[in-house]
Amino acid sequence: MPTPTTPPSPPVPTPAPLSPADEAEKRTSFEREALVHLDSLYRVALRLTGNAAEADDLVQETMLKAYRAWEQYQKGTNAKGWLLTILRHAFINEYRRRTRHPETVDLDAIEPFSVFEELQDEDPQGTFFDRIVDDEVLRAIDQLPEQFRETVVLSDVEGLSYEEIARVLDVPVGTVKSRLFRARRLLQQQLYDYAVGMGYIKGSSTG
Amino acid sequence: MNCRECAEHLYEYLDRELTPDLEREIRQHLTECPPCGEHFDFEKLFLDFLRARCRAQGAPPELKHRILRELFDE
Ligand SMILES: [Zn+2]
Repeated sequence: MPTPTTPPSPPVPTPAPLSPADEAEKRTSFEREALVHLDSLYRVALRLTGNAAEADDLVQETMLKAYRAWEQYQKGTNAKGWLLTILRHAFINEYRRRTRHPETVDLDAIEPFSVFEELQDEDPQGTFFDRIVDDEVLRAIDQLPEQFRETVVLSDVEGLSYEEIARVLDVPVGTVKSRLFRARRLLQQQLYDYAVGMGYIKGSSTG
Repeated sequence: MNCRECAEHLYEYLDRELTPDLEREIRQHLTECPPCGEHFDFEKLFLDFLRARCRAQGAPPELKHRILRELFDE
């Protein structure tokens, strides 16, 4: 697995101006390797900020920082992970204070709720999921504590491996695993409660 | 491999994060144990559902134009 280069930390010294040919080449490689991940960055930004206008600004700032630091990125390695790391740092440093507050979560306090166990008899095939629309799922994700939300978005929405997520979030792989487990169970519970509320399923208990 | 050990690796299995050996052991257990098989199928369905519901959204076209303008003065 390719190792991504370290994301830019403090301000990068202004590089010497590039020749027009080098500038053109830089642009081509940036478009090919970085701009192709725009949709991913936007989806993650939207879930982090919870707000379309701020997601726009956060993504634009990320692309700007990435372009300035493009010489530091090792071509052909994991550009998506590198960009997401920049985006997350920018979010933590500049946006989080203004938007949401990081919650600290007591992992052990979360009772793992298994929808499958609740529904083994009524709907073991999970057909009720088909009736839940996109917006409802996004709303459920947005209600997760931030640590869980970012982990689940990087995994289930963007398809990063545990190792890649660990690098972006700067936590051990074991932490990624336990957050993912609890985040998914919390999501299941939310969607289950929603489906019971909507009458899609009867549900067997109060949850 | 018993049912409890199998369940402990649920998400690592579904996320394709296990070593080939362990993955094979689990697959074996799932074919031999219908309750575990059903459980894993349900969770796989849930993850597929999550992905399908969340990936529809992309960046607005205007954002891309804004970024290109900013980067390349277009
Ligand atoms: Zn079993």
